[in-house]
Amino acid sequence: MQKKAQDKKSRKERKKEKLYLSDRPPLTPLAAVMLAISYLILIFWAFVILWPLLQMTLASLNGSLGNYISLGGTYTLSLKHFKYLFTETHFLLWTKNTLVIAIATALLTLLVVSFTGYAYSRYRFSGRRASLMAIMLIQTIPAFAGITAYYTIHSIISAIIPSFSRQMWLILIYAAGGIAGNTFMLKGYIDGISTELDDAARIDGCSNMQVYRLIVMPIARPMLAIIALWSFIGPFLDFMLPKILLTDPKQYTLATGLFTLISDMRNMNQPAFAAGGLLTAVPIIILFITLQKQLVSGLAQGSVKG
Amino acid sequence: MKITLNNIGKKYEGRENFTIRHINLEIEDKDFCVILGPSGCGKSTLLRMIAGLNSITEGELYFGDRLINKVEPKDRDIAMVFQSYALYPHMTVYDNMAFSLAMRKERKEVIHERVMEAAEILQITDYLYSRPSDISGGQRQRVALGRAMVRKPAVFLMDEPLSNLDAKLREHMRVELVRLHKSLQTTSIYVTHDQTEAMTMATRIVLLDGGKIQQVGKPEDFYNRPANLFVAGFIGSPTMNTFSGKMENGVFVSDNGVIRVSPAPEDAASLAPYEGKAVHLGIRSERFIAGEGEDGKVKAKIDVIEMLGKEKLLYCSLDDGSTCVISQPGYYEYAHDELHNFHLDKEGLHFFDSESTERIN
Repeated sequence: MQKKAQDKKSRKERKKEKLYLSDRPPLTPLAAVMLAISYLILIFWAFVILWPLLQMTLASLNGSLGNYISLGGTYTLSLKHFKYLFTETHFLLWTKNTLVIAIATALLTLLVVSFTGYAYSRYRFSGRRASLMAIMLIQTIPAFAGITAYYTIHSIISAIIPSFSRQMWLILIYAAGGIAGNTFMLKGYIDGISTELDDAARIDGCSNMQVYRLIVMPIARPMLAIIALWSFIGPFLDFMLPKILLTDPKQYTLATGLFTLISDMRNMNQPAFAAGGLLTAVPIIILFITLQKQLVSGLAQGSVKG
Repeated sequence: MKITLNNIGKKYEGRENFTIRHINLEIEDKDFCVILGPSGCGKSTLLRMIAGLNSITEGELYFGDRLINKVEPKDRDIAMVFQSYALYPHMTVYDNMAFSLAMRKERKEVIHERVMEAAEILQITDYLYSRPSDISGGQRQRVALGRAMVRKPAVFLMDEPLSNLDAKLREHMRVELVRLHKSLQTTSIYVTHDQTEAMTMATRIVLLDGGKIQQVGKPEDFYNRPANLFVAGFIGSPTMNTFSGKMENGVFVSDNGVIRVSPAPEDAASLAPYEGKAVHLGIRSERFIAGEGEDGKVKAKIDVIEMLGKEKLLYCSLDDGSTCVISQPGYYEYAHDELHNFHLDKEGLHFFDSESTERIN
């Protein structure tokens, strides 16, 4: 009986002096307030981002909306805006255009950046520093600053090669922009890969190209995945360049195409615009999910003593 | 395979001076040649030139009778073990070892056989399908060795392969490497800055300093007959004691006259031309004999005692303030600040020309 009571007591005591296991110092009242403020800011931020997305999703599925989005009113679940998008507009064509441009841009950027990043990281040649600086400086000029030049260059080239379309030109502009910045990123990443790996591969019988393809590229895959993702997303987000360079609505990308749904009174359809916006996210999400494993892998660990 | 270096020199782009120059060296077939030197002496550069990873600025490099100055690394029939092991992180241990053979388009069965053979010798069969990041440092070391072994190269090149291991494992791998070399009989070139590794493993040591070869020879030559003051100071632990002085009437007298010793009869002849000239006397710590002798007496005050078990190292100061290290059997009793008499073993004296630092006797 007595033992039981003692047991109970000791358990109570134990509960009282609960072990403090965190490595951080205990929270002071001031720190607690600061923590609360931090959370408030973060929650507010999340709200600012998520609220429009939520509204867009709701509006695109709201069958009782006409050509305008209005909050409140009755809500009927329907896919009629999506139907409108597929039947009454060139949405599928725009998606195809955007995908072609995005995929071509991503591939072209990856290919060229692979060469430039590797070369800048591993080889010493005259003009290396100067050209790196030049790339960095040119990067600071926004792409649309050269818009008249782009226009002129395209007319010159297409006069010589008639099959050179405006979409191809757009791909080249996107890729060129991406190559400049991404060369830096990839160079930095490859710099972190021990050159002893290159040496070992060379002794094992690799040519320069094989060293890159078989050794460096697989290790640099997380960075290449990020570069691919960004290059792919670029054409989805850009409005300015396609708006100016592409003149035929059938050639439009998603951004410019969907814009026609809210810019013109004659075919104004805001809920369809919302539906299109929602669908636009699909290819990007698919790519993100497929690349996710690459993006987070830390393969470079353990190559060298760790 | 015999390797001949004929007046080899290397100058890096953008550098004023040659990193190493006028290197003449012959490495015999089946040798275990250790290139030893302090950091920055050009030893890795030399190895990388032999491997073909660095170009050769001047001179000729022969493998057997074949001039290979301009031959690609992969065509030199070499294998190299790197300090960082340089294992390919995205491949399994098996693929790492098979890589060079796969590059040569060997048949799958041949590759498998060779990899398994090497894996068994090195006892790494248990983790052939792990990635390098999942195994320990010592295991990675073995994989790096295995990767070199499967090629059955004519020459093994190793660039400080043990320096990333802990002391115990290093000791173990040292013996392993010697055993491996004995069974494979491959000509090996091993670069290190650790004199213990050089002394224990080499059949031949090449000591480099300042881009020049200081001495080439067997480990015992390095210990017993160092070619100059640098070698004398570099090889051996504790460092050899050296005293500057000069020859007077056939007797070495140190600068302040604290040490007077007449050389052994067989050394006297070679020392004769140095009469009246500045000379350095070198003596290893174990060549001090306790007790007052007839010649070469030293009276030493003990400052610090290092007890190493089988021996005691006595850090002493002499009357003129100069210091020396004396080693005595561990069971002798000494205490701080005691004065003791020692005398020099005449067989263990090394004489060096103070001007050229070259060995005299």
